[in-house]
Amino acid sequence: MAAPMAGRLAALGRRLAPPARAWLPGLTQVRWSRYGPSYLEPEVNKEVYRKPLEGMSEEEKTEWELKTLQPIKATASNVTSSVFSDPTISKFTNMIMKGGNKVLARSIVTQTLEAIKRKQIEKYHQASEEERESIECNPYIIFHQALKNCQPIIGLCNVQKGGKTYQVRVFADRSGENLAPRTAAAEAGKAGAQAWNANARWASFMQSPLHQESALRDPSWQDQAENPSCCSYFSASLG
Amino acid sequence: MAAAVRRVLRASRAWSAAPRARAAPGAQTLRLIYTTTAVQKRNVAASGPEKYTEAFIKNQIEEFNLGKRHLANMMGEDPETFTQEDIDKAIAYLFPSGLFEKRARPIMKHPTEIFPKQKAIQWGEDHRPFHFLFYTGKQSFYSLMHEIYGKLLDIQKYEDHLRAQSLLAENRKLINLIGSRWLIKEELEEMLVEKLSDHDYSMCIQLLERLVTLPCCGIEEEYVLKFRRELSIQLKKMVIEPLQYDEQGVAFSTGEGKRKTSRATAVIYDNGSGKITVNGVDYLYYFPVMQDREQLMFPFQFLDRLGIHDMICTVSGGGRSSQAGAIRLASARALCSFITENEVEFMRQAGLLTADPRVRERKKPGQEGARRKFTWKKR
Repeated sequence: MAAPMAGRLAALGRRLAPPARAWLPGLTQVRWSRYGPSYLEPEVNKEVYRKPLEGMSEEEKTEWELKTLQPIKATASNVTSSVFSDPTISKFTNMIMKGGNKVLARSIVTQTLEAIKRKQIEKYHQASEEERESIECNPYIIFHQALKNCQPIIGLCNVQKGGKTYQVRVFADRSGENLAPRTAAAEAGKAGAQAWNANARWASFMQSPLHQESALRDPSWQDQAENPSCCSYFSASLG
Repeated sequence: MAAAVRRVLRASRAWSAAPRARAAPGAQTLRLIYTTTAVQKRNVAASGPEKYTEAFIKNQIEEFNLGKRHLANMMGEDPETFTQEDIDKAIAYLFPSGLFEKRARPIMKHPTEIFPKQKAIQWGEDHRPFHFLFYTGKQSFYSLMHEIYGKLLDIQKYEDHLRAQSLLAENRKLINLIGSRWLIKEELEEMLVEKLSDHDYSMCIQLLERLVTLPCCGIEEEYVLKFRRELSIQLKKMVIEPLQYDEQGVAFSTGEGKRKTSRATAVIYDNGSGKITVNGVDYLYYFPVMQDREQLMFPFQFLDRLGIHDMICTVSGGGRSSQAGAIRLASARALCSFITENEVEFMRQAGLLTADPRVRERKKPGQEGARRKFTWKKR
């Protein structure tokens, strides 16, 4: 009941022009923003602007014209147009950050990526000619794959039957995207805390199962229905 | 005769036992009723906001025009070409006021701007309302909705007519809505001279949107355009300074930027090597954090002009991140003078030319911070 209503409101919101969208019934503004409702999100990717105006389709032309008429928000401080800025890495850094210490969070992430690269290059040099092609040295690709592996396949949802509420396992499609980096960071933190308690250096969480096992295994384990949640996998591998 | 009776009542303040109503020829016989002055006095609060009749407003407009000519003569100007701006200047000169509130100072404006627009009396002498929707309370709004829906049905009928002759595919007429926006709630209220609720406004806009989606809505184009307002191209609102040249003939340009409490000025020189100096110090030493240096380089990297320009900037106030943001805005604005208009539009769409309006939110009383509330204790 709630889902079709929300879907209808979302469709209505997309149809209405931005100044009117603020007044949709049922969608009251809870969080107000310093920007007005007509401000659009900035597009930083340079490739979008390289396309010439004549080469665009009708839809793109109307979108471009609409964009020229609306004000645009300012870009955030951790976003640049360079090839080195990655939105997933930025999000992960923010999640790791504690007490606003972005400097420390960013240095941790940079050192992690460096460590991954070093390990992979070591493996690359020690491997034979045939295996060298399959070894991935780009730490960003490994990081993205690790996050994708952390996404849950199955989630639980409440089903009421016969007066009792059962928690039934349901396939989760896109709901795990926000959960993945959180799970990864939490598990990394746990492994790091264990290592710290064992009087090892704090940087040893980079040697934790997070980076070794999850990043480099192939996704065929997802076929195993007996091991649905990645948390249980991590706890098994930690022990 | 009636006045005499009233006077008698006022003097006695009670019911008098001896009414002497001498019937005048043609007048009704008066009956004395028990009243007090409290009932006889006019109830100011219950009569509602002051109503201005059309004759009154017309009078005011005539007086305003006369007064305008007198004022022009007083100031020695030509009465025919005396504009509102001249009036404002003249009044400010003749009645200098030191009041801080601008709206409390003496003004002389056209009566339509001073007296709020009111609806004329909506009922006739027999006290029956003119409009059939008067008793809904919002007659203009509901009649507008009725009209728009009527037009929608007309368009559908026309489409059916065309479909019957199988001419619909060729005769599609759509209204071009790019470059305009729907009226906002305040503008619609002004148009209808009626208070609207948010729900009413959204219903009206939804109905108009529905009308616009029909394939043959071009028939009612001028009617729909009454509810649209022009949107100007955002780029035109920006002022781009022309390039300046110093003694050696090197082109340079200045820009100012701010973020939170930081204020920065940047001077960008052509024929440079990508050196950036902040407050006399190289940017590598002023901003030891990589993120701030990335922000400084952002506008140059976006335009592929990294090693071409030299920058000298000064910044004060705020912390390290806000200083970097202020310099970024200043350098983006300065770079506008070196590049084409298309590239300026690209920069604007990338968010480089907007001043970040986010500032620190104040702490509220009764809460621990701006948003954080005190710990809730059950008892």
